[in-house]
Amino acid sequence: MIDFKIHQRDSEDVSVIELKGYLDAHTAPDLETAFQKLITENKFNIVVNCRDLSYISSAGLGVFMAYVEDIRKNKGDIKLTNMTPKVYNVFDLLGFPILYEIYKDEQEAVVRFHEPKK
Amino acid sequence: MSTDRKHSSDLLPLFEFSNIINSSLELDFILSTVLRTLMGKMLVTRGMILLKREGKLFQIIAAKGLSDSVIRQNILIEHPSRSIQQTKKNVRGNQDWMDFLVLHQQSLIIPILSQNRIVGTITLGERLTKSPFSALDKKIIQSLVNLSGSAIEKALIIDQVKEVNRNLDRKIQELNTLFDLSKEFNIGLDEKKVVRLVTFALLGQIGVKSYAICIRNEDELNVTASKLEGSAALKNILPDLCDLSKSVKTQDLLKLKAYRVAAAELIKMGITAVVPMHIQQKTNGMILLGERLRGGVYSQADLEFLYSVGNLAIISIENARLFKTAIEKQRMEDELQIAQEIQQGLLPEKLPAIPQFDIAALTISSKEVGGDYYDVITRKRDEYILAIGDVSGKGTPAALLMANVQAALRALAPLCTSVAETTGQINDLTCANTRGGSRFITFFWGILDAQSHRFLYTNAGHNPPFLLRKNGTMEKLEDGGMILGIFKTAEPYAESSVTLTSGDVLVMYTDGVSEAMNKDNEQFTEERLENILKKSTTLSAKEIIHQIQKELDLHTQATPQSDDITMLVLKAL
Repeated sequence: MIDFKIHQRDSEDVSVIELKGYLDAHTAPDLETAFQKLITENKFNIVVNCRDLSYISSAGLGVFMAYVEDIRKNKGDIKLTNMTPKVYNVFDLLGFPILYEIYKDEQEAVVRFHEPKK
Repeated sequence: MSTDRKHSSDLLPLFEFSNIINSSLELDFILSTVLRTLMGKMLVTRGMILLKREGKLFQIIAAKGLSDSVIRQNILIEHPSRSIQQTKKNVRGNQDWMDFLVLHQQSLIIPILSQNRIVGTITLGERLTKSPFSALDKKIIQSLVNLSGSAIEKALIIDQVKEVNRNLDRKIQELNTLFDLSKEFNIGLDEKKVVRLVTFALLGQIGVKSYAICIRNEDELNVTASKLEGSAALKNILPDLCDLSKSVKTQDLLKLKAYRVAAAELIKMGITAVVPMHIQQKTNGMILLGERLRGGVYSQADLEFLYSVGNLAIISIENARLFKTAIEKQRMEDELQIAQEIQQGLLPEKLPAIPQFDIAALTISSKEVGGDYYDVITRKRDEYILAIGDVSGKGTPAALLMANVQAALRALAPLCTSVAETTGQINDLTCANTRGGSRFITFFWGILDAQSHRFLYTNAGHNPPFLLRKNGTMEKLEDGGMILGIFKTAEPYAESSVTLTSGDVLVMYTDGVSEAMNKDNEQFTEERLENILKKSTTLSAKEIIHQIQKELDLHTQATPQSDDITMLVLKAL
């Protein structure tokens, strides 16, 4: 069983979530719990670092979709970074790049939260 | 001669142009280069390139000097020209196309041919100099376009291959999702988790923005998850959709008479498609799709995918339910087994031999454990306790209460001086266990003195036992008080004594005997029991029980027994 791990670290007003392993129907509820926790703690500026994410299924993508509206309503966002080509391909196939900001590097995404909003 | 030289000087850029466009596989780059080259060479400020899509449909792929909004527009060209021609007004059959060109100030139409097939069309506006295109200009234009024809087609094929590949990737992705979900569904989840996963698939795979998921519970479809305004109103529409055999868009549903009303309601709510969840041809759930996040309509492939997900999910939900039911059934059976064991354990394994008396007993448990109880205990030399009782209710609680009464009797009776007083104590103990009358016990007991043949008894609301005298007369032993377990003893119980002389029979029984039903719901009755007994004065205790049992069988035939049957018979020898 290849497992899935979530590690969270907060830098100032941005919460960085690192995903590791397989994000599929089995592990999707773990990510859901993580998002729910962030929302109850009023942490809406979220960067998801996918550097160690080896696989994502559409159930995994569904979790992002299920919470992004709530988070954006609270003037926050979910920004994605450091995707491997394999993971990016799934995002791309399902048309996610037009719905999410995706960055090569975590720092780029963090900086974006501090730029004045358009 | 001078024109010839001019022509040869044109050859070099022509060669260069050919090289550039043929070395690229990027359609956009090729088209831009062609258009830019033509416009530069001919000093034209406006131009566009259309590529053939299906049949007579062409799409504007590149445009310069025109508003960007023309790009991606589809144009119907009835009669595409195979040779270069001027824009003309009022051309029969091609009117719309020509009008469009006039509107955008395009004056020259050049076909793009590859292997003699039309793959597209280039149009150019007037020249900056306002001078018309000469025959030579047209020749140069056509040559350049001809040179680009095969490059464009090559790039188009590459694009198609890319598109096919992408569709293939998407299909693989769909299959992966189905595999991923079915793996998870098979673990045996509850309904809530299954619905959550379906939601993730809707959001993640299809990009659904609003939705409702309905699952059948008993006879009704209930909305179990929803991201849709006013989904409560769905309840009234859902029954009309239960006979849908496949996924369908609400716009298509509107065209079917039987669904017109329901479809109109759904559209009003913003629902664009309905995906039924089937299990053995029965609609046990439904997914209703609202808008899409990225806009656009659901493709047939999307709906088929969701139909597969829905069916996997509903099977999983059904399995979870069946599993739960099976566990509950098993648990009830286990409980019944325990109750039966308790009950069996309370009944005497073997009746003590009482000198000068003949004693026999029988108890037949009904399928669901009832609360019948009888007991025969040796109190001391020549003194015996006989008891019979019936606890209200069935199952483990009844069996446990019966155990309580037995424990109280066995603890108190050996030391008691008064049957009535002890009955009061047993009642108080029972009340403490029933916590105020939710259950009760009818109870009859007494102490037999085998020496004097005297039987001292108290009847706490039990069916009065029959005392059948040798001469055939009958007495009922009724003295006592109220049933056990309702109120604490306020008024003392009464006790009475009878003396059994040789040939007298005491018959104790529970209402399972007198109320045994036949198929017409008729009771056996006390009278019938009485009549049998009157004819049984010569029989032994065991034979009397056999006789009653035989008559009971005649009465009930094969009607299932609904209550325990218990008899305890004592005969003075």
